[in-house]
Parts: sequence; C-alpha cells; structure tokens
Amino acid sequence: MLVDIEIDAREQTPSWIAYGTPLFAIAAALAVSVVALVAIGVNPIAAYVEMFLRPFGTVATISNVLVRATPLILVGLGVYLPMKAGLWNIGAEGQLLAGAIVGTWIAINVTLPQLLVIPVILLGSAIAGGLWAFIPAWLRAKWGISEIITTLLFTFIAADIQLYLVRGPMQGGSGGFPQTELLPAAAEFPAIPGTRAHVGLLVALLIVVLVYVSMNRTRFGFRVNFVGSNADAAEQAGMSRYRVYLLTLVAGGALAGLAGISEIAGNQSRLHASFAPGYGYTAVPIALLGRNGVFRMLLAALFFALLFVGGNRVTVAMEVPSAIIDIVQALVILFLITAEFFQRYRLSVSIGRRDDGRSIRGSEVTTDD
Amino acid sequence: MWMSYIQPSVTVMTDDLLRMESIVKTFPGVIANDHVDLTVRRGEIHGLLGENGAGKSTLMKVLYGLYAPDEGTIRFDGEPLRLDRPQDAIDAGIGMVHQHFKLIPRLSVTENIVLGSREPAAPFRQENLGDGPLATLRSSGPVQAVASRFSLGLDRPKRRISDLADQYGFDIDVSAPVRELDVGQRQRVEILKALYRDVDLLILDEPTAVLTPVEAERLFETLERLVDDGLSVILITHKLKEVKSVTDRVTVLREGEDIGTVETATVDRSELARMMVGRDVLFEIDKPDTTVGEPVLEATGVSAIDDRGVDKLSSVDVRVDAGEIVGIAGVSGNGQKQLAETVAGVRDPTAGTIEISGQELADAPPEEFVAQGVSFVPEDRHEHGCAGDLSVMHNAVMKDFRDEQFGDSVLFDYGSVGDFASELVDDFDVRGVSDVTANCAKDLSGGNLQKLILARELARDPELLVANQPTRGIDVGAIEFVRERLLEQRNRGTGVLLFSEDLDELFDLSDRLLVIYEGEIVLRTTPEETTREQVSVEMNGGGDAQVAVADADPADAATRRAADGGRSEQ
Repeated sequence: MLVDIEIDAREQTPSWIAYGTPLFAIAAALAVSVVALVAIGVNPIAAYVEMFLRPFGTVATISNVLVRATPLILVGLGVYLPMKAGLWNIGAEGQLLAGAIVGTWIAINVTLPQLLVIPVILLGSAIAGGLWAFIPAWLRAKWGISEIITTLLFTFIAADIQLYLVRGPMQGGSGGFPQTELLPAAAEFPAIPGTRAHVGLLVALLIVVLVYVSMNRTRFGFRVNFVGSNADAAEQAGMSRYRVYLLTLVAGGALAGLAGISEIAGNQSRLHASFAPGYGYTAVPIALLGRNGVFRMLLAALFFALLFVGGNRVTVAMEVPSAIIDIVQALVILFLITAEFFQRYRLSVSIGRRDDGRSIRGSEVTTDD
Repeated sequence: MWMSYIQPSVTVMTDDLLRMESIVKTFPGVIANDHVDLTVRRGEIHGLLGENGAGKSTLMKVLYGLYAPDEGTIRFDGEPLRLDRPQDAIDAGIGMVHQHFKLIPRLSVTENIVLGSREPAAPFRQENLGDGPLATLRSSGPVQAVASRFSLGLDRPKRRISDLADQYGFDIDVSAPVRELDVGQRQRVEILKALYRDVDLLILDEPTAVLTPVEAERLFETLERLVDDGLSVILITHKLKEVKSVTDRVTVLREGEDIGTVETATVDRSELARMMVGRDVLFEIDKPDTTVGEPVLEATGVSAIDDRGVDKLSSVDVRVDAGEIVGIAGVSGNGQKQLAETVAGVRDPTAGTIEISGQELADAPPEEFVAQGVSFVPEDRHEHGCAGDLSVMHNAVMKDFRDEQFGDSVLFDYGSVGDFASELVDDFDVRGVSDVTANCAKDLSGGNLQKLILARELARDPELLVANQPTRGIDVGAIEFVRERLLEQRNRGTGVLLFSEDLDELFDLSDRLLVIYEGEIVLRTTPEETTREQVSVEMNGGGDAQVAVADADPADAATRRAADGGRSEQ
C-alpha cells in the first residue's frame, strides 16, 4: 500500500476555510497540548476553561485582557508597518525599551498639568523609539545592511542601558531595588471609567485606524505596498525605496516606543529592571498572523493577550508550572502559522493508488544502460 | 479549409512512433486539451503550434507523465503506454528539454547528465571485478548496494558524452561546470542529457525563446542531424517562421482544441497563423512616413557597469527624436540592458550625459525621468515590470499614481484608480482579468502581462519610450498587438528606443537602426541601407562571427562583403 500526498495551490480559498482554519488550528493545538497537561496530572478541560473562558467572566477580567493587549497592539503595529514595506523589525523590543526609558524620565522629571504632560510623554517616547530604529533603518535604506541583524543588536544595547539606568542614575524608591521611583500621579495614564484599561488602549485603537487609512487610502500606503511587494519595480516607477524603508522602520520604532511607555504609565507605574516582558518579540508572530490587514493584526494582538492572561490564571489558580503554559502557547502559535499553508494549498491524500512494483522500480538506481 | 489537410491517422501505422488519441485534460474551469490527437512519425520533426495557453504544454506534460489525462490513449512504438511519472516516459524513450533548464550550475556537464542514472565507480562494476578475495568482497551484496548509492563512476559516462558531443558537433567541455556555459551551450547539455538516455523521441519546449538567431540556426541544424539518425522530434513553438523552416508536419492547437495536423510544405505562414489565432494576422506592418521632431533623448558618452561592477557600456552616443523608432540590435548581454536602464533613469551612468527633451538628467533619480515623460518597458517583466503579488489595479497605476485624477495630495482614490485600470485592461485587451482589484499581476500570462505593462507605459503619452525586448516570449497575437501599438505611439510623436533580438521586428519597425556589440555602438544605419546579414555579422563582432554565419550559409559571399563594408563605415 502506498500513501500518496499531493499538494496543489488553491485558485480560490473558500470562505469557510478562510475563517474556519484559525479556529480549527487553535482546536488542534489544544488537543495536542492535552498530552502535556495530562502528563503533569492536570485536568485539561478545567485548564482550558480557566484559560479561555474565565477571562471573559467579568468586566474586571476582560479589562485585564485589554490592559495586556494595549502594548501588544502598539508594538504589533511597530512590526506590521515595516513588514508591509518588506522589512523585518525583529528588534521592536529595543525600541520599546527606549520609549519606556525616555517616557519614564520625562514623567519623573517634568512637572506639568496632566492634560499637558501625557502628550509630552507620548511624544517623547515615540521620538525615542523612532530614533532607536533610525540607525538600523538608515543602514538598511542606504547600504542594504540587514535590518534583521541590526535591530536585534540594538535591542541588546537598549536592554543594557536600561539595566544600567535603573541601577544607577534613575534608581529610586525605597529599598535600593533596581527600579525607578513611582511615576507622579499626573503622569499616570487615567483609567477608562469602570475598568482597569487605560487611555493607552484608546491611543492604540486610534493608531490602528490611522494606520489603516494611511495604508489603504493614501499614496504613501500605495508606495509602501509597492516597495514591499517588488522594490525593484517600485524604484523603476520612481518610488523611493530609501524613503519608504526609512519612514516605515522609524515609524515602527516610534510605535514600539509608545508601547513601552503605555505599559509603564498605564500599568506598571515604574520602570523595573525586569520590565522587559518580551512584547517586542511577541509582536513578530502577531504581525505575521495579521499581515494581510491591520484589523486582523488587532485581532491577533487581542488573542495573544488572552493567551497571556489566561495562561497566568492557569498558573496561579491550578498551580501549573508556567513552562507548561509556554508549551501550550507555543503550540497555538505554531499551529496558527502552519494553518495558513492550508488556506493557500490543497492537500489530497490517496492511498494505494499505485501498485508496489511500479513505485519500487521508479526509485531504483539504474546501474547500466 | 485546412481541415482537408488532416492526415487520417490510420494510413501509415508502421511509421508512427507516437500516437496520442483523443486526449482530454481539464482543470477546474478550463478544458486544457479537448480531444487532441497527435501522431508523430519516425524520423520527423513535428511542430506543435499554438498561442500561449492553447494547451501545448499541457499535452506535452501528459506525454511526459506529469499530468494524467482524463481521457484518451497513448501508444508509443505500437505499445500502449501508461505514464504515471516522468521516469516512465524516460524509460519508454521520451526525453524533454524544458524551457527553463533543469541544470545544476555548480556541477559539471557530465555530472548533470548522469544525474539520476549514474553508475558506481569503476572498481565496483561487474566487468572490472576480476578474481580473488577482494573481488568477492567487492561483488558481495552489501558492498554493491553501498557502492551503487555512494560511489560515482564518471569515467565511462564522460567518454560516452564526449563521443555524443563530437557526433553532433557540440563544442562543449564535458568537465566544465555548467555555470560557465552560455545559454545556447546549456541547451545543448539538455539535449545531450536526453541523448545519453537513448531517447527515441525528443520534446523541445520553446527552445528558441532564449536563443539568439544564430544560435537558433545551430539548434535547427542539430535537430536535423538527430532526425537523420532516426530520432523523432516534437518542437513546441509559437513562432511560425520556425515551423516553416524546420518542421515536416505541424499540429495546431487553439484554446485547447485540436485544429488539425498539416504537412508543413503545403501551407504558408498566413494559413498557419490563421489556424493558430483563428483570424487573419497581418505580417506586413504599415509604417507611414512621419516627420521627426526635436530630440527627446540625447545620450552622450554614456558608460555604465552591471550589478557586479563589470563595465558593460563604454561611451555610447544615442539620439532619439520625437516620432521615430530607433532600433538597437545586439546579442543578449552586450550592454543593451545597461543602456536601456541608464536612459530610462533606473541605473546611474558612470560617465556621460543624458538629456531628456533638453534637460540634463544623468544623475537624477528615476522619479525625474518619469516626470519628464520617460516610459520604460523592462526586459524582465516579473522582476522589474510589475509587483506580482499586487493586483492588476495596483500595477496599472505603478507609474501614474501621482496623477491628480486619482485624488488630491495625500488621499488616494482607489475608486477612480480601479476605473482607470479597468479601462486600460479593456483598451489593451488584457485577458484573464475578471476583477482588477482581485487578480494579481503574477497570474497573468506573459503576453497579457506585457500588454498591461505597455498599456500603463503608453497611457501617459510619453515623450520617450524605452522598450527592451517587448515581444520576447509572448504569442503571435500579442506580438502583433504590441508592434502595432509601438508604431501608433511613434506616429503620435513619441520617440521610441526599441531593443530587440528579433531582426525582423527591428527591420519592420525601426526608422534608424543601431548595432551594439560589447558595450559599443558598432554600426549606425537604417533598415533600407543595410541587410539582415550585415546586422547579424556586426552583432557578433564583425570578423569573428563570419565563421558562424558562413557555416549557416556557406555560399553567401555577399555576407562577408557586407560585413567588410559595415566595418569600414565606423
């Protein structure tokens, strides 16, 4: 018996596949994860209920997800925008740190009424994130040096600067912990009434709309799409690859910077040494899953926030090691990204179509003719 | 009327090497082959003629075991043939030279040829085993199994391949790596690959698409030698001239249907064209006299390098006036690409000046050239002409997206862009587009993509159009269309710089003709003042190429005289 697998490109993706595949992929990932959960003696159904349903239980739990989602949306955009131009902003984490550092500094050292100081903080951290992306962007635009490497290396620099600052010049608060002092009340992002979610979420949603408009309704978006799809053809048509690369990567850095300060001023209230939560790296699969449209990217960011919040709940409530939750999360991401393959290709499996004799002969090595 | 030429396939059973009967192959929404019959006799060159998308490739993929037909039978050498995979076709004695060569550049000619049918190294071969304990070891099963998988004997194949190459007059060093060979030589390696496997039937898929006229001539000589030795050849093509000059019989397909098989000698070009396209095709292009205007392009002393930094263009002067077509003839790789790119503004020259309508732009960015009314049809449609993953609509406005009709300074009005794109698609008869926003450029066939690119470049009513190989690799209907549009644009006052390897095209369209060789213009003439032979000689470097041309046509002393004349002219 012979199993024959054929892979064909789909001419059109039926809508039930387009919308159903992500759900099916998540279900499949959870099914596989059962092995890990059962192995440590946890009831998988209870764990999944805790992870995926309980976060929707009350306004408070939902707002937890939204708080988590806020920096993910912003930093996701910071990877998404350069991705549209064909660039990989792998170092969004570093730009996020730069924004967090500068934003925190402004918040602590600049005294202004709340209505004024928050815009200044936002602007400052956006500029910091943008500047942190500028050198990699310029190296890429001018000399073609891979932004994948440079943005990543710049992340290491940012991380070490941050550690130095919270242990040295910016260290504050009692007990000598590696952290800054608490942000003054005026610099804290006000909460959306009745929830823990803060104005950073509104800023993020506003920027999602702005990015949508600029990508889909402006000439700038047309250029970005064109350069991202075929930079040589775009140059031939007089579009400047240089400008598009520089602009999108710097804008991506600015958005990542905003993500950094929105997490500090909206959630953590001070910059810790261990602030770096890996949002910048999580942003890459978020942007990848959402690369076909900014609203999909928004959905992906919300879903990752749910994974994180739900995962925490399981760790705390059911005493499951966080490593197991990492496995579940990783499997979900893997399955989602693999599933995209099936949206574009059709797999047909036929069994026993050829008799054995033929197939063996086909693979034989001819020794002489 | 051509139906009367169809050969009843039962007449000469014994002469038929291949009989494909009533082949049907459908794809979702398309009937690629609708009851197609193909009979190939022993020792004939059989043409398979049709436009792009007519079903030629599908039929040959069925014959090569790549597609399973829905209906129909294949008999080869009188025996019914069941093909599940290419190996079955190869075993039966069918070889195929694909349009895109399947060679590994790093490996030598010999290694490429024995790929998939290698033999073990000499000490492990049956006839070298001899006697003694060592021989017993070497002939033991496990050792033989390992040797057949992990050792490679190239000595004997190399000898055989050299012999084959000599037999057919191929000038190929069989131990040279394939990457050092030029396109024509690579094709000969592909042919050798088939011959090495002792094929009875050789299929060549559009073999001349990548060849210069001189190389194509050589290929045809080779094919004739092959059929003299008893092989049969199927030549897939959409070039009528080739069908007329080398084939014995030809089968014509149109939109998947079998239009018929005719003896080539009994039909003329226009009849073949009518069978292929389904209507009359004009070969004589009506070129009215126009008065030329001011110069739109004045390139002086232009030098340029290619992407690897090699000098490709040395101090070239080219002038194009409004309302004329200046043709550039040359063998591929002699600097045409660099010349086209520099005057279109895509590549910066290393020296020299480029004036577009009197404005010096040599160091200006491409945007300035576009703004000054320079349009460009690049050589490589997919790499430089379009963004394959974007919609037809995006590609239709690749040059014109700055235009005010598509919205004010910031916002871009995709509604009017879509309308504009649909209009271009209708005007230029771009087929295969049902929705300009949904269909991607990469899904268009070569001819239709070229029409779209041309539509985009001409919609701007440019001052200067630089067209590099605008009709390469597209079918006869599209070629006719592209040529007409180029002439029309010239008549409207556009200066056209036309690069082509098709001398007929250059002679039909050009008002003036330049020949480029090794980065220099070696001949400036007009189609009336010169001959194809002279241009052909100059394209190949004057004296050096006389041999090749003389080979093709030994009696043509005029060629050599013309060549001398050409050389003294500069």
